[in-house]
Amino acid sequence: MTYFECNLHTLPDGSDSPSRMALAARKLGYSGIIITNHNAPVPPFGSDGARLAGGIEVVFGAEIVAADQRAVHSRAASLRNKVDFIAVHGGDEKINRAACEDPNVDMLAHPQRGRAGIGVAAARAARDNQVAICLDLGPMIHLRGGGRVRWMEAVKRDLDLVRKFDLHLMISTGAASHLDLRSPREAVALASLLGVERDRALDALALPGSILDLNRRMWASVGVEVL
Amino acid sequence: MRSWLPVLRDRRRYLAIEVEAEGRIRAADLTREVRSAQTSLFGDLGAAKNRLRMISFDGRFGLLRCSHDRTEVCRALLATVHSVGGTRAAIRVRGISGTIKAATEKYIPQSTLQPDENERRVDLGLVSGSVVRVHGREIDLAPDDQKITEGSGTRYVGLTSFDLCGEDIDADGTSDGL
Repeated sequence: MTYFECNLHTLPDGSDSPSRMALAARKLGYSGIIITNHNAPVPPFGSDGARLAGGIEVVFGAEIVAADQRAVHSRAASLRNKVDFIAVHGGDEKINRAACEDPNVDMLAHPQRGRAGIGVAAARAARDNQVAICLDLGPMIHLRGGGRVRWMEAVKRDLDLVRKFDLHLMISTGAASHLDLRSPREAVALASLLGVERDRALDALALPGSILDLNRRMWASVGVEVL
Repeated sequence: MRSWLPVLRDRRRYLAIEVEAEGRIRAADLTREVRSAQTSLFGDLGAAKNRLRMISFDGRFGLLRCSHDRTEVCRALLATVHSVGGTRAAIRVRGISGTIKAATEKYIPQSTLQPDENERRVDLGLVSGSVVRVHGREIDLAPDDQKITEGSGTRYVGLTSFDLCGEDIDADGTSDGL
């Protein structure tokens, strides 16, 4: 299995360069990382260094931070041909819904951040548009006490929806530093505490790789591939 | 130690850990942090089932002991530690083993042990230094005088436990007593 860490933030969003993140992730047993910065300069900072790191695939994606639904759709449409992986910065109920309704979006990151979570309507839309839901383990690692309890409740609701509608699930730590990274085994152990079975968690860690493969093919239109 | 029925003996696993941190980590701080992470995640009830103990910690590598069927749970709780004593840190589980000896030999790199961190001193006249590793009768010694290993290109002097007690045996005359 090739495991990917799919929602990382490097300089200027995080505190590490892409190459440092890549080396740390390689040591932990990942075969690739996807860097999804909020405001990514073009070309991304440190992309040359990341290429030199070696032994691990470093993909520069993007995470859309939008104030309203229209902005999500327009940013996703304009980014689709520029990057291999598009995430949406979730947490707000309307943004979560908009991301799930947009087939250009690959992943909805941390929908539980504002304790909003995905609703039934958004879950149904995510199934139709094949938008993956990311289980962000960051709050599990960083929060303690009441905050974590409320976050766990929101996650529990969302995981029930994921199971009910058979949605794509991804697991990430949302790391902004190499000290936030966790190995695949640790991610599986953390996810199992939240009620994700081991096999499902392993699939979730491997899913970004297959999504990237799909995105890198040349599509003429929906379902029509250029060979 | 009080004797116990063999069938009721508690089974243990040893987790070899490596702590990645931005500064120096003290063992007491690490113990406190792991304990609070454990109580926060599982409460007193779960903590009692885990039976997690710190066996050793040298500033970077360490050994923890837990119940044999709670290894994945302990892996998860160690993953929730994000800072130790106010310093950003991460605990990586290097491996899990059934005995202290196997966990140490398999997962804790021996060459990183600093000679001056070790308390066992050996002075044989020709060579003196501190013990780095003991495995059965074999002893690796970090010599005070590095010149002594120059010819062989090794870092440590290889000795056995026989070398250490040989002189004493000669001294009280038991080795040629028969």
